[in-house]
Amino acid sequence: MNAMKTCIITGSGSGIGQATAIHLAMMKEYDHIAMIGRNMLALEETKKEMLKRDDHLEVSIWNMDLSTPKKATQIIDEIYASHGTINTLLNIAGYTDPQPLLSTTLENMEYTYAVNVFSPLEFIRASVRYMKKNGGKILLVASTAGMTPRPGWLSYATSKAAVIAMAKTLTEELAEYGILVYCISPGRCATKLRKRLAPNEDPSTIMQPNEVAQIICNLISENENCLDGQNIIIRKQCNVKKV
Amino acid sequence: MYSAVLLSGGMGTIMLKDIPKQYLLLGGKPMIIHSLDRLDHIEAIDEIVIVCAQEYLESLQLMLYQYNITKKVIFADAGNTRQASVYNGLIACTQDDVIIHEAARPFATTSDFKRLIDAKCKNAILGCDIPYTVVKGDSTITGILNRSELVNVQLPQKFEKSVLLDAHNMAIKEKKQFTEDASMVYYYKNCPIDIIRGDVNNIKITNPSDLIIGEMIYKEYINSRK
Repeated sequence: MNAMKTCIITGSGSGIGQATAIHLAMMKEYDHIAMIGRNMLALEETKKEMLKRDDHLEVSIWNMDLSTPKKATQIIDEIYASHGTINTLLNIAGYTDPQPLLSTTLENMEYTYAVNVFSPLEFIRASVRYMKKNGGKILLVASTAGMTPRPGWLSYATSKAAVIAMAKTLTEELAEYGILVYCISPGRCATKLRKRLAPNEDPSTIMQPNEVAQIICNLISENENCLDGQNIIIRKQCNVKKV
Repeated sequence: MYSAVLLSGGMGTIMLKDIPKQYLLLGGKPMIIHSLDRLDHIEAIDEIVIVCAQEYLESLQLMLYQYNITKKVIFADAGNTRQASVYNGLIACTQDDVIIHEAARPFATTSDFKRLIDAKCKNAILGCDIPYTVVKGDSTITGILNRSELVNVQLPQKFEKSVLLDAHNMAIKEKKQFTEDASMVYYYKNCPIDIIRGDVNNIKITNPSDLIIGEMIYKEYINSRK
């Protein structure tokens, strides 16, 4: 009998995370999806959408504010204790409060790093203790902001640069355990976070969360094992003509 | 089922480091974890006996937790010599068959351990050809050796516990030291010991330069990406 397959996802209350959770339900590769976040109403909404796609899927919701990373270990331990497997971990939650250098406070930096870097680190560390027995997949969402200069985005850009470096380091460190680490850097994507950064932009003209979600699901599908360890840039070519 | 004795009592004097070599990082993790991770995966192994100095007990226990080593682990005190350390480990074993391995050989693979366990003979070692010439002598050559008749003795090795323990007791009685256990068992017990084909990458980390070579072996042999 095959063991139950579990996927853990953060940031699935909205945006790319929510779209990914719904795609995961359609993918039917997992028996159990554990969603971690603080907006319980939004997570319940996501769950409803997932169950519409697969009513046999087990979906659990775990309450955690990702700005307090220390709780991550306890939640991962509880998920493992209750379900016996952790196969995939998707770190999708993100935070930004863009400020120019002279307005950037240490609190701003710490909060941004807590959500974007330290929480993923804690989730990974706790999950790898279990994943290392049978292998698994870990995905980190970085950003093109972590690769190119963005004046006024200091906290976000440096945190995403850290995520890219973390993914590359862990790819090598975890390879022996059969754990594949993926890193994606989406460009402009029509999420709530993007709306805060560019309020005047027409969201319909840029990449949609569904498009990124589809790529994430391709990366974590059973058949994919060649694209780990690289920073995969996801940008939409808006001038594609049908041929 | 087997007890695996993992020798980790060395003080790292040759490495010229404050920390014994078996706790230095190799491939991003403490050297001893390479062996512990693999032993932890082998079903035929019931327990791991770590032979170490008392002062490293606490850090080892933390490592066992951090790396989620789930097999039963017993600790035994390191002795003054390698031979004494093996003896202490052996005494702590509860199974009738034992595997002797050392933390300073981080590249013995799960497959190496399994091939050793699968060997029909109760006593077996890993060994490989010697690709260079070895002669007898100190300051002058006193004899030649036919390298086609020689074997580079590696670890892990497996023995019937009673046989190995007998050999150790005889060695203690005669105050005789051996550099490893297969020679001792052959000397005192004269029983069959199979040689299973080992791999040249299963080196013992001894000198500082071995750590640099070890990083390359880890990358190309253990973690190879095609």
